[in-house]
Amino acid sequence: MNINQLPFINEIYGFLGRDLVAAVIGILIILVFVPLNSAFLVWVERKVAGHIQLRPGPMEVGPHGILQTLVDAVKLMSKEMITPKLADKFLFWLAPIIIIIPAIVCFVVIPFSPIMQVREMNVGILLIFSFSSLTVLSILMGGWASNNKYALIGAVRAVAQNVAYEIPLLLSTMSIIIMTNSFKMSEITAAQSTVWFIVYQPVAAIIFFISTTAETNRAPFDLVEAESELVSGFHTEYTGMRFALFFLAEYTNMFIAASMGAVLFFGGWHGPFFPGLIWFVIKVYVLIFVIIWVRWTFPRLRFDQLMNFAWKFMIPVAMLNLMITAVLLKVL
Amino acid sequence: MLNIKTIDDTSINERVYQLNLGPQHPSTHGVLHLLLKLDGEVVISADPIVGYSHRGHEKMAENRIWEQFLPNTSRIDYLSGLIYNQGYCMAVEKMCGIEVPERAEYIRVITSELNRISSHLLGIMAFVMDIGAFTPFLYGWDDREHVLDILERVTGSRLTYCYNRFGGVRNDIDQEFCDGTRRFIDRLRGRFKDYHNLITENIIFIKRTRGVGIIPEETALEFGVTGPSLRGSGVAYDVRKNEPYSVYPGFKFEIPVRKEGDVMARYQVRMAEMEQSMKIIEQALDGLPQGPIRARVPRFIDPPAGDCYFAFESARGAVGYYIVSDGTRIPYRIKVRTPSFSNLFVLTRILPGNFIADTIATLGSIDVVVPEIDR
Amino acid sequence: MPTEGQKKLLEELKNSFTRALPEGRITSGDYARTGCHLEVRMSDAGMRRIAREMKERRFHLETITAVDFPDSFELVYLYSTYYQDFCRVIARILISKEASPVSVSSIYPGACWLEREIYDFFGIRFTEHPDLRRILNPDNADYFPLLKTFGKTKLTEEIDDILC
Repeated sequence: MNINQLPFINEIYGFLGRDLVAAVIGILIILVFVPLNSAFLVWVERKVAGHIQLRPGPMEVGPHGILQTLVDAVKLMSKEMITPKLADKFLFWLAPIIIIIPAIVCFVVIPFSPIMQVREMNVGILLIFSFSSLTVLSILMGGWASNNKYALIGAVRAVAQNVAYEIPLLLSTMSIIIMTNSFKMSEITAAQSTVWFIVYQPVAAIIFFISTTAETNRAPFDLVEAESELVSGFHTEYTGMRFALFFLAEYTNMFIAASMGAVLFFGGWHGPFFPGLIWFVIKVYVLIFVIIWVRWTFPRLRFDQLMNFAWKFMIPVAMLNLMITAVLLKVL
Repeated sequence: MLNIKTIDDTSINERVYQLNLGPQHPSTHGVLHLLLKLDGEVVISADPIVGYSHRGHEKMAENRIWEQFLPNTSRIDYLSGLIYNQGYCMAVEKMCGIEVPERAEYIRVITSELNRISSHLLGIMAFVMDIGAFTPFLYGWDDREHVLDILERVTGSRLTYCYNRFGGVRNDIDQEFCDGTRRFIDRLRGRFKDYHNLITENIIFIKRTRGVGIIPEETALEFGVTGPSLRGSGVAYDVRKNEPYSVYPGFKFEIPVRKEGDVMARYQVRMAEMEQSMKIIEQALDGLPQGPIRARVPRFIDPPAGDCYFAFESARGAVGYYIVSDGTRIPYRIKVRTPSFSNLFVLTRILPGNFIADTIATLGSIDVVVPEIDR
Repeated sequence: MPTEGQKKLLEELKNSFTRALPEGRITSGDYARTGCHLEVRMSDAGMRRIAREMKERRFHLETITAVDFPDSFELVYLYSTYYQDFCRVIARILISKEASPVSVSSIYPGACWLEREIYDFFGIRFTEHPDLRRILNPDNADYFPLLKTFGKTKLTEEIDDILC
């Protein structure tokens, strides 16, 4: 038996070498970028929230409080990681890990610019959706393993909410995918070189944004971690670095959601004068700013109203949009 | 409201579990402990457990002379401190037959109404924060800062006041106080537009509050509910109109009443009450007479033996002081009838059948101050 | 100044109570001094009768309180109106130290907590009460704080030092 007859051996040989080095460098850059991005976003959220509420936000540490998150991270790292006595120890330890790793993996397929994408995959969009669904598993693990009724209620709400809002998310994305006939993120971006897809699909864009706000558990859909009802929802019992991982994951998910929105509807890295990377980053951060703005403006929905909204309004509208798109594509 | 199956509410079986809301909780206003029995997200029974901040004010009253109980009164309800001060002084003056000069009455009314506005601002905005909108909370506190600054100039305190005395008030108000108050009223009127845009017309807020936590009129009557919780259920009862005291008969103001009895009705009643308070303050400032601010009373008063009940309207409802005197300088018994005590008890009747989220909304809309319950 | 409606209501109440409670003393109160329009003094047999009459006439139970006298307790019930012309009725019930008065919570559910408070402070047990347990003091307390024999009071100690 010759080694050249093993299955996939040509693909493996093809990958080793230049591709492997590119992949390793890309992942290292992502691993540096993700915590920095989360730290920056935490500061942005606190400043934006402060200014909306007529106060300046963090101002003490560093110029305009920019080092605040760094100091908070140091504080969180120095705190004791308490495990409740009757908690399920393995699941309790595993939950924060499972929430952050898929989020980092999703960065592999995001096209930051025409040349900056760690790995081009045929199923780029599917990869992002499937990995971000794993956050639900982590929330359920964290809520159940905490041995705390508040955490359990939060986890149960999270599962129902995430499952319900996945469907309009996928349906609205499908409307874009059938227009470009491809799951590859770079091809979808390239197809928007003349006109952004938001012009063709405004309804799908609105549904997409509402669904991602619900998927990332941000207000007004933040019943899962509603401070005034459930103390802290599923991460009530988490302290120290474990809590920091949940926090990090939330902002990373927000970045992924916003970059999906930028790629699908706002033309990705297209734009005049500046290089693609700068346009992409600008678009993503504008979308994140809108998400933060919505959080501090609206009260939160009650749980049954939230579910009614998803099942009775969003899904029919998304399906209708998809059908009309399909018909129009066939006709035109 | 759902139609719940009749489950014996004392049984904890596989479906029904017990959840402690409080005493440490971000949204029970104060140390309130609500023992909920839940089936999924639906409340089967609710049992408020109070007494975490019981300090024994009524026992303290029996160990002090009449004047020394005055600081206690504003600690009973720290948000309406001036109103409680005024009520206690008026109760004792009623029993002794002391005549208060008119300027003092006007000053008492102005400061009490300012206190009512600041209490409503805090109550409404904390309730809105429980529903999830964090921003109006800070806008309300910004307005409240102005009121507290105005009152601090003349009373010396920001929260727990001890400004009234038997026979009048302690300090006189000056022109700057009047000008500051007028400026504040103009400012607040402009802010109401912002509040209505941000909160009242917000579709999510409307969905969270309409039809939620309804207190029927009969239940309100049986439980002795008073205040905005009662006026939101359709009964036009306000002690300032039904049993007028001080110089309130001379002012033109209305009592806002809503028929629905739900959370939105109580919220609207409170917002409208702030507007009425501003009207009262303006009329009082316009008609402020000159004169002494305190009647001549002996240093230690000796009320005649007997008892007296005096009722007045605080921000939360009808308060009553029942004072019993045996002719000496030390009270024999002082009982404070506080509105939050009865208002909270009504929750055991109206909460079953609602969701947890509605529980929080209803609890916030009733606007209890727990030290008032516990005394 | 009492209005026509008030005077009529007071007359009706006075007649009704005098008929129903022959052993009680019904007097008009001095509103300017005591805040009550009608005073009813009696023993605890007529408590429920008064409560029922008040409920029929749409009075609300403002508060219930107790006062500790050297050889008896005095339970004070205060009723007032929401709807019609304002009127306040005070019912004073003198009971002995060991008596167990009947609860009115079947007529006014709001009395449940008020009577719990009286039990908590004075040790007066109410019969037919749905849920008689302590409300403000700890559940396992063995004292009744507002009794004059408890703690530092005028009956137990001379308090001169507070008079500065």
